[in-house]
Amino acid sequence: MKRWFFAGLVVTLAALALYPMQGTGYGVRTVLQLFMWIALAQSWNLISGLTGYVSFGHVAFFGMGAYTAGILVTKLGWPWLLACLAGGVMAMVLALVIGWPCFRLKGPYFAIAMLGLNEVLRVIVSYFEGLTGGGSGLSMPTLLHASVPIYYAMGLTALLVTGLTYIIITSRFGLRLMTIREDEVAAEAMGIDTFRYKLYAFLLSAAGPGIVGGLAARDQGYIEPMSVFPLITTITMIVMVLFGGKGTIWGPVLGAVLLFTFQEIVWARFIYLHQLFFGGIIVAVVLLMPRGILGVLQQKYNLPRTI
Amino acid sequence: MFVITPAMVGQVVISGLLAGALYAMVALGLGLIFGVMRVLNVAHGSLLMLGAYTTFWLFHWFGLNPYLSLLVSMPALFVVGVVLQSLLVRRVVDAPELSSLLLMFGVGIALVNLTQLAFTSDLRSVEYLTGSFVLGPFAFSKSRVIACAFAIVITAGAFWFLQKTRLGKALRAVSQSREVAQVCGVNVQRIHMLAFGLASALAAAGGTLVAVMVAIQPEMGQVYTFKSFLVIVLGGAGNYPGALVGGLLLGLVEQLSSLFLTTQVNEAVAYVLLVLVLLVRPTGLFKGRAS
Repeated sequence: MKRWFFAGLVVTLAALALYPMQGTGYGVRTVLQLFMWIALAQSWNLISGLTGYVSFGHVAFFGMGAYTAGILVTKLGWPWLLACLAGGVMAMVLALVIGWPCFRLKGPYFAIAMLGLNEVLRVIVSYFEGLTGGGSGLSMPTLLHASVPIYYAMGLTALLVTGLTYIIITSRFGLRLMTIREDEVAAEAMGIDTFRYKLYAFLLSAAGPGIVGGLAARDQGYIEPMSVFPLITTITMIVMVLFGGKGTIWGPVLGAVLLFTFQEIVWARFIYLHQLFFGGIIVAVVLLMPRGILGVLQQKYNLPRTI
Repeated sequence: MFVITPAMVGQVVISGLLAGALYAMVALGLGLIFGVMRVLNVAHGSLLMLGAYTTFWLFHWFGLNPYLSLLVSMPALFVVGVVLQSLLVRRVVDAPELSSLLLMFGVGIALVNLTQLAFTSDLRSVEYLTGSFVLGPFAFSKSRVIACAFAIVITAGAFWFLQKTRLGKALRAVSQSREVAQVCGVNVQRIHMLAFGLASALAAAGGTLVAVMVAIQPEMGQVYTFKSFLVIVLGGAGNYPGALVGGLLLGLVEQLSSLFLTTQVNEAVAYVLLVLVLLVRPTGLFKGRAS
């Protein structure tokens, strides 16, 4: 079973790595977006799936990365790859600044603080026009055929974040995070410095969206406050993780693939019903399948938590 | 250079208190649900939005006085709240916080999207009261003064209900200890429904009152969810009179920040205030309970 799984994984990765040689521009862009969603969902899973602290404003890190990369590329002429990495670093800095006060908060307090953070960043970005272009946004110099390098960069990011999740879930660090999720008071009583571990998880969780934000900005060539801080991006991450199974390694990937495919094939035709579907899925998953698809399978077939 | 005169400060302080009374009323609803069942209703703003639309359509179709529509919007949303509680929220009250939070989040965006489908995202307004009262050096928009008056009356009514009536006392008892209340013969399920209904009615009242002042659109509620949360944090979660002070404080801070900075950064200032308060006093400025 395990051997087949890894064989399948290697074949899939190889196919994805070779795809741009055969694929059309549209196909490459579509897979690139799927990579983006996997990386984002997986990052949300790192903090919210493992610790139970719901981050309602995770797109803030995405936006932070997009603007960092955008500013570095346009104002200082940095190469885009380096600028995107800097976006990841800045997202981690933001996570540290906001995590320091906010992880003293429990459950719902944290959730709303994160929701507020995203709205505030949007206001701030619109306000500092000199640096960010304000409401009229930032345009980056366009590169022809840049999709392929961004495809690989995005794919690598998704892979790394998933690998990171694997390492964390199978480590003592991950166990500590899950202890916090199950019973924070007990975790503290056992001598776990919960504040520190939550903060570490949060920092790791912010890096992915920061890099992804930079790459997405580079891919689109244009950013503005409304397009990089949309609540719907956070919602999409949440729905993907819930759907696949929160707190698992492959759940976010499964959720991202299913939801993204569904979105591309079906929902594109019902664009106005998009959010209704999301809302409906959240309600249905919370009430009927709180552990997601993988969670249900785990329980039913007594699988290890390392899936 | 821009000079700030005492009269301007006075104006801003009074405007802040006017806005604050409204915040306090809306936040009291959020605080009730949180206090009674430890559920943070992130759909609170969406319920407020429904209240605003109720008022708009009654005004638009029947020319009903927007303030009279309180008599429709509050009972209507009370029913919506009770239904939400008995169909959905009931199932997650004892689940981890994550579940109820996400559930209400899902309900909230579904409500917003349904409203979009039904009424489009066009900005709408209830053109009813314009102009201001002028009092010496001060001028106040009429709609704000009247909204504040209604908010005070409705909040006072809610407090009277909580303090004096049997049901209100039962509700406070459940928010102190569900088990003890149950042992004393309180029907906890019924109290939960009552709390959700009341909270939704308070949100609806907020929606009706702001309908006269701001543009109505499906996503208008989100900012009120955030503000209400801020208010109950300032006041101390579970401390109902604290919500009142928290609301006034938020109104003041917002108005003062728009005097000394710009209106654009209002939200950012409120956010910084939230983080600072939580940092210094996680239980709120007044005695509340940590979650």
